[in-house]
This record gives sequence, structure tokens and C-alpha cells, in this order.
Amino acid sequence: MVKFSILVVEDDKLAQKVMAAQLTAHNVDLAGDFRTAMKKLETGKYDLGFFDLMLGVDDDYSGLKVIPRAVEKGVYAVVVSSSDSDEMIGRAYELGAGDFYAKGNEERNVADILRKFAQQRKAAGAADIFAGAFVTVDPETKAAALEAFKYAPTELPILVLGPSGTGKTSLAKILHEHSGRAGAFVAINCSAYSEDLLEAELFGYKKGAFTGAAESRKGRLLEAHRGTLFLDEIGAMSLNMQTKLLKALEERSFYPLGSERPERSDFRIISATLEDPQALIAQGKLRFDLFHRIHGYTITLKPLARRKGDIFALVRHFTKGGRRLAFTPEAREFMEGYSWPGNVRELKKFMDLAASGPAGRVSLETARKHLKGVAQPAAAAGPAGGDTYAYALAHGLEAALEKLSAEIIQRNLRENDGVKTRTLADLKISTRLLYATLEKAGEKI
Amino acid sequence: MTTGTSKLLHDLRSKCSSLKSAAELYKDCSAAEKKEMLALMKAAAADIANLLARIETGA
Repeated sequence: MVKFSILVVEDDKLAQKVMAAQLTAHNVDLAGDFRTAMKKLETGKYDLGFFDLMLGVDDDYSGLKVIPRAVEKGVYAVVVSSSDSDEMIGRAYELGAGDFYAKGNEERNVADILRKFAQQRKAAGAADIFAGAFVTVDPETKAAALEAFKYAPTELPILVLGPSGTGKTSLAKILHEHSGRAGAFVAINCSAYSEDLLEAELFGYKKGAFTGAAESRKGRLLEAHRGTLFLDEIGAMSLNMQTKLLKALEERSFYPLGSERPERSDFRIISATLEDPQALIAQGKLRFDLFHRIHGYTITLKPLARRKGDIFALVRHFTKGGRRLAFTPEAREFMEGYSWPGNVRELKKFMDLAASGPAGRVSLETARKHLKGVAQPAAAAGPAGGDTYAYALAHGLEAALEKLSAEIIQRNLRENDGVKTRTLADLKISTRLLYATLEKAGEKI
Repeated sequence: MTTGTSKLLHDLRSKCSSLKSAAELYKDCSAAEKKEMLALMKAAAADIANLLARIETGA
């Protein structure tokens, strides 16, 4: 939860006590009269202020006079008063109050006010996020991200879907930064480890737990205590590991390798995968119960080719503060029609290459030289593009999928200069499929 | 209604509201907080009785 700095302007001792009890998770300052309130506003820095209007017996609603100064100082002013006549409510709003509540239901009202304020803060900060930490001008992507940000300060697990290089890790980091959790953001790519290594990385181990364990080591689950554990490419995790992770998630405790003493960790989980989780479940590669543990809220990020407006917004972002580049109309057209198989990561790499090149004006030739994927019309940009769709209608779905699979494998192999081990790792395919595809295509094995 | 009575009624509403909210919170307080809260609640109750007496006199 986000911790706010709050000023409570209230003369009644019991009411002060009630408000302070509702705000224990925040930094609270109390002022019992007009003079103290004004002084605190001058010297302190507050996010939010709760204002009673009558401060003392026979007071002339001096609480009202505090509101304009509070608003000038950037404080979100909320009136909590028994003076709730229409006239007083009108005057308070005219003076800049953001909300007006009648006294008497503090338990419910204060929680509502804080939740609303936190959401307003996030929405206000989102414009900056989309210009920096997560660059996008695409309305659909912005709307999806804004919806996800609403769940940032909750305990709800979040699943981020999208192809490689679309910004899943960046989004997970932003969600953590807006979660109000005091602990660290701890990320691990599940596809980068073998089953044994992943278990050791996640749960940690004791000295001597296995050959090579010269020292005890804290696992990622413990490192993420009071923070966020980001499990990237969770679909690559073995079923055995999924079972162990599920147990740790359910019990909030786990045993490091070689340890007989359980460890406890309070972490929030955000996971990501480039694969379709439903398909993984159908294929028996993802446990259904684990899926339900990790997908409280799901956000899907579109590939860059489907948010073309972002291409040059990202170009501007990548060159900000450095060498600025110009693009010929032909280069622009090529880039906008390009399929960007590596998404934002590929664009970043391209910009690094272009920025270190001799010419400040990027030509079609330069763009073509560095972007080796296929420039294709928008209709064919999706997984079932126009050509594939037409082929499927003519030859059947199975043949079309086989053709698509072969195209992807051959293209990846070309991009990896024929190094088969890289293609096996990139596409996570079996050696048998790779060789069968190459054999069928008549390529040299 | 006179301005004086109106202010007394405002104070009465305010004190009653605080007392109600405090009573709702009371069960979740620690022993030390309960002692402090109870003292404040008794003071508020005395204020309420006093206000009622003043309203009665005024009426």
C-alpha cells in the first residue's frame, strides 16, 4: 500500500483519535486549531488533508479558511464535518476542496477516500509513464496498461502476456513501483535455467546441499519478501517445478534445498509468458491450478507491428538526449510495414546501429540492411496473416500450420546465421522438428 | 432557530458522530488504547449531556 503524508485538522480530541486510528498505515500530523493548521501547512509537505470546519466552540468555520492555502500547497483537501448544510458544502467546493463527507462513518469513508486518492495519483502519473518507463501512444495499449495499474496496489497476482520484446518486464517493474510494497522487485527468467538450477535459484540452498554448493544462498522467493517476484516465461517451467512453486504460493513457505527449516516470504507474484496459457494447459504443459494462482488479472501486450504509432514514438524516446536521426520517407514506410519480430527490443537494437552509423539521415538501404525480417502488409502481420489464411483455406489447417512453422524455423535460422543451437533455444523446439523441417525444405543439414 | 442553538446542535452532532465512530473502533484497540479511548469517550459523553442541558435551557 502507498504511504501518504496526511494532515488532520480537527479540534475534537476523540475525533482526532478516531481519524488517527483509521490512518495508522500513513504518516499523520494533527492540528487542533486554525493557527496550528496554517503553520503546519507552511512547514510540512502533505499529500492529503482532512479538514473539520468548526475548530473550537464559537469558531467561525475557520477550517474553511485553511482549505485555499492547502490547495495552493498541492494538498488534496477533504472536508469531514458535521456542518454539512448545502451552503457549507458549496463553499468548501468553491474554495477547492476535493471531497466533502459528513462525520460519522469514518471507517468506511476514510478507506474510500484513500482508495480514490491513490487511483487519482496513479492516473495523473500515467502520462509520464507512457512518455518514459513504458512508451506508447497506442490507445488500446494505454487503456490496457491503465486498467492494470489499478491493480498495482493490490495483492492480486498479475499475468502479462505478449510476444518477446513487447515490454512485459518493464510493465511488471512499473506495477511493482506502484504497488507500495516495501520490498524489492525480483525477476527471474524461468527459461534460462534447467529444472535443478531453477529450484536452487527460486528456493535457495544450504551449504553442501549439492555438489558445488560451497556457501548457503538465499533464493529469489526470499529476496522478494514484502516485494514482487516476477516470473518471466513461466510456461517454460517444468511440471515438477510448477508443483513445488504452487505449494510455496499456497503455504507462503518453502524449504531451501538441504534445509529442514521452512522459510516464510510475503511476496506478490507477477508472471509473464509469450505463449497462450490456455494452449499450454491443453497441452499439459501448465498446471491448471497454478494458472489460477497466477492470473488474478491478465494484460496482453500487442506486438509492435500492431501498434505502428509506437514505432516513431519509441524512436524519439531512444534518441532523446543523444544523436537525433532523420528518416527518408522510404525508410519510414519500410519501418512502418516491417513485421518487427523482435518487437521493441529489435527496434532498440536497430536504433543503436543507426545512431552509431555514419549518416544522420537513415535511408531505405540502411533500414533494409539492419532489419532482416519481412516487411509485410498490415493484414498479414498477425499470427494468421492473409497469406497463411488463404493457404489454410486451400490446403487445410494442418498444412497451413506446418507451412507457417517451417517459415518461422527457416527465418530464425537465417537470422542466426545458420547456427542451429540458437534456433533450438530461440524457438524452444525439438531437434527432431528442426531437422525434419530442414529435410522437407530440401535444405542442407 | 437561533444561531446559538444551531451551533449547539452542530456540536451535538459532531460529538455524537465521534462517539459512534470511537465505539465502532473500540473492540480493535489495544489495552492501552482502550483506556485512552474510554477516557475520551466519557469526556465526549459528558459534553453531550452538557450540550443537551444547554439546548433544553435555550429551548
